[in-house]
Amino acid sequence: MVAMTTIGQLVFSGLLIGSIYALMSMGLTLIFGVLRVVNFAHGEFLMFAMYGAWAFVTYTGFNAYVACLAVVPAMLLYGALIHWIIIRPGLNKPHLVVVFATMGLSILMQNLALLVFSADLFDVPPLNAGRSITIGPFYAKLELLIGFGVTLLATAVIHVVLKSTYLGKAIRATVQDGEAAQLMGIPVPRIFLITFSAGSALVGLSACVMIPLFSVFPSVGLNFVLIAFVVVVLGGMGSLEGALLGGICIGVVQSLSGYYVAPAYGQMFFFILFLLVMVFRPAGLMGRRGEATLGMLD
Amino acid sequence: MTACIALVAIGPSQHMLDVILLSFMWAGLALAWNIAGGYAGLISLGHAAFFGIGAYTSSILTAKAGVTPWIGMWVGAVAAAVIGAILTLICARLRGPFFILSTLAAAEVVRIGALNWTSVTGGAEGLMILPTPSAMNMVFGSKTTYAMLMLIYMVVTYVVTKAIEGSRYGYYLFAIRDDEEAASAAGVNPLLARTGAMCTSAFLTAIGGSLFAQYFLFLDPTNVISPELSFQFALIPALGGLGTAIGPVLGAFVITPLSELLRSYFGGGAAGLHLAIYGAVLIIVMLYFPSGISGALMRHLTWKGDSAR
Amino acid sequence: MMRLSAFASVIATVLIGHLQAPAQAQETIRIGVLEPMTGPANKNGIENYTAMEIARDMINERGGINGKKVEYLLADVPNPTAAISETERLITKDGVKITMGSGISPLAIAVSQTTERHGVFHWETAGAADIITKRGFKYTFQVGPAGYRYAQAAIDFTMDDLTKRLNKPIENLRIALLWENRAFGKSVGDGIRDYAKEKNIKLIYDEGYDQFATDMTPIVQKLKDVKPDVLIAISFPNDAILFQRKAKELDFYVSALIGVSAGYSNPDLRGSIGDMVDGIFVSDFAAKVNPKALMPETVKIAEEFFKRYDAKLHRPPAGHASSSFSATWALFTEVLPKAKSLDAPELREIALKLDLPNGALVNGSGIKFTNNDWAPDPKDAGQNLRASIGVWQWQKSGNNQVFPKNLATHEPIMVPLPEWSKR
Repeated sequence: MVAMTTIGQLVFSGLLIGSIYALMSMGLTLIFGVLRVVNFAHGEFLMFAMYGAWAFVTYTGFNAYVACLAVVPAMLLYGALIHWIIIRPGLNKPHLVVVFATMGLSILMQNLALLVFSADLFDVPPLNAGRSITIGPFYAKLELLIGFGVTLLATAVIHVVLKSTYLGKAIRATVQDGEAAQLMGIPVPRIFLITFSAGSALVGLSACVMIPLFSVFPSVGLNFVLIAFVVVVLGGMGSLEGALLGGICIGVVQSLSGYYVAPAYGQMFFFILFLLVMVFRPAGLMGRRGEATLGMLD
Repeated sequence: MTACIALVAIGPSQHMLDVILLSFMWAGLALAWNIAGGYAGLISLGHAAFFGIGAYTSSILTAKAGVTPWIGMWVGAVAAAVIGAILTLICARLRGPFFILSTLAAAEVVRIGALNWTSVTGGAEGLMILPTPSAMNMVFGSKTTYAMLMLIYMVVTYVVTKAIEGSRYGYYLFAIRDDEEAASAAGVNPLLARTGAMCTSAFLTAIGGSLFAQYFLFLDPTNVISPELSFQFALIPALGGLGTAIGPVLGAFVITPLSELLRSYFGGGAAGLHLAIYGAVLIIVMLYFPSGISGALMRHLTWKGDSAR
Repeated sequence: MMRLSAFASVIATVLIGHLQAPAQAQETIRIGVLEPMTGPANKNGIENYTAMEIARDMINERGGINGKKVEYLLADVPNPTAAISETERLITKDGVKITMGSGISPLAIAVSQTTERHGVFHWETAGAADIITKRGFKYTFQVGPAGYRYAQAAIDFTMDDLTKRLNKPIENLRIALLWENRAFGKSVGDGIRDYAKEKNIKLIYDEGYDQFATDMTPIVQKLKDVKPDVLIAISFPNDAILFQRKAKELDFYVSALIGVSAGYSNPDLRGSIGDMVDGIFVSDFAAKVNPKALMPETVKIAEEFFKRYDAKLHRPPAGHASSSFSATWALFTEVLPKAKSLDAPELREIALKLDLPNGALVNGSGIKFTNNDWAPDPKDAGQNLRASIGVWQWQKSGNNQVFPKNLATHEPIMVPLPEWSKR
């Protein structure tokens, strides 16, 4: 019985943290799916947003969830800016231009943060004095549960938008076939802008959920960006549900492998998982078959 | 090429020699990466794994079995080539960002493995090579000798690159890179060609790793098999000009001194300023000079040549 | 093609040529300082450098050393590869003949490797990994305590103090060890394991973990299963915070937690996890020791250091900063004044002759270096056997030294640590 509780706790905690990984990766998967570009500065977008959330909490006294009201729009605008300056010019060029340009952006953002904020770790006060809620025999921190809830809500909302609104249909059409979409009168460049900005806004949302759980410092993005990439590819690029599933998988695998094998091997397990998926089901869990092998619209 | 030899022969200051030496090494490494990334279109962000395998294999053989690095480095290179082949086969069907991320993941697996396989690699504390000079053990007292060694490395990789470029094999690689379906319709076996390119690239990168180990005399997984290093392997050819032989060399000779310069002028000042500048420069170059420096120069020089009439 | 190559050579030569610098005049004593001012360890770097700057300002105000002012050439070394390049640069381009540094162990190893190759004297103020002094180097001197000393302090404290307070003899005390798996964590972890074996103490849990882990659930869960009385944890700031939070979340608590340096000694910990931090013990360089343990002249210097540090960074110095100041001050007042040149062999001779008693340095240390004459390990050279090390505790009134008795300013409190619900 004791073992069951342990496994249960591990899976439960993994599920919760996994949902946060998923939330953080949703923006990335949308951007991948629509624009077919890799944003290597994704972790730094998260970092900037976390600093924003922290600043909001520290200077207004409201909690991190209220900070969404400021951070999400700010990240939307930031995303639009970066799209305009960096992504758009790179779209018609070989895709490694965007890869390297976003790498440069990542270095730039990290060091700007270092210059402005220094290397100190910044935190916000926890809810409920950091105590946990117990659900049956399992513990869960309030912030994690909220994060889980926000993730589900966000997934649902975006799902509805994609399915029912004109914008959503336009986005899906662009994901399926950019050229055809353009021929059908869909303003593809504008869709790109909207998607990139929305992706950035999603990162802003996840930052607000994450700042009560993780400290922010200039290189915090590095801890998360590899996870985000793995989640996105595991779930299937462009698939929202895939990101959710992928994130949860990663969270649970990390939790279980850390316990049963060795925490020292940390991220190795989900990289191996990633490679296994790549070999046997490259489109990811929920991606469309053949997507990985068709590759980019060069 | 004669310019490079002249540079070394002039016998500049120790510090300049250091930078020149590193530039040679990076040029060689960039050329090696380019065979897979530029010629075959296999963009890898995990080459640090091959580098590390080369560096660690020759060093471990020296430290534990007394085997001289002159031999050890070939062992490392073969090991890297094998791993490269396996990787290519695993990722045979992947393209675009899927491939890129797989290389990243694979390199991380190697790094974490090396970090934890303490009995063999010394783990986090690193592996040290005794600094007593001895030609047999590829440890030299004089920096000029190292510079010569790196120069030879660069020349060899350049020759190999040029040889591939001009050969039928190279032609196959370009075909696959540019339009795989057409190429295989024309009878080229993409998998074989890809694997060959990756193996060659891994082999040469590993040799570079061994040479590096003999120069720095200290290895540790976090810094020798890092994503940052992998990015650098790809960055230099990209900046210099992918898919050409001179591109990676140009890239190395611009980036290496530039990073040193930025760090020595700004590194002592506001923490992070020099890197911020590096990042900004990177963005600008990539967006406005996508065929790299060699591309820009080519256009510039050709244009000048024409209008000089 | 030829033209392109020529053009490339020109660019390269111009860029490389820029890196030549004129030699400097010799009216100052130029010391190369290598610290990680950017990158993951830059907190240590910035704090160490601030402490060293204070030492430099203080000595220059007192007229310098033998009339010459001290000047630093600072190089940023975020990782070991940069450490090697930057050290090379300082030595070969800027001509420094003496260096200090280096923030954390991997950097210390890389820097000293390079200085030794050039026959340059290196004064290591903070790096701790044991291997630093076991490489047969002649000119590297590690002034701060070696990794195993942290281990010993933690175990000694457990044996001498905690057993009494917890009313459990050492054979029955359940001790768990958790170490981050990079150089420092592993080095101290090894030290604890070896020392525990020597003292016949059994560790019921002994595991390394990945410092960049984002989820501590599996680790905390494992520890919960094992139910330790005392946990010795070697973590860096970020993982220490995550661990503490997860421990509270999953309701895991121990009777006593001894953190070892790095993460648990970080002054910002209280800001990050609030009151959870009270009661945690830290095995670390001594930052602020009982003035009675210091020699009278040192007390004044200590006060001045603390005042200036507070003015610059608005907080008391962390252990590594105190250590950096202490080591630098010792260099300025005990080594360099006796030197006619900055040649390594001369400096080495002076260093080896140093015999400063405990309490001579601001952080309670003395100085006596090994020179292949140390019984436990004849290969060891350049280790300071009188580097102070001890255990302090996070208390509401401040970070107070509680062990060893002669350095202690306060008594340990909160043993055993109350359950989370009562805190």
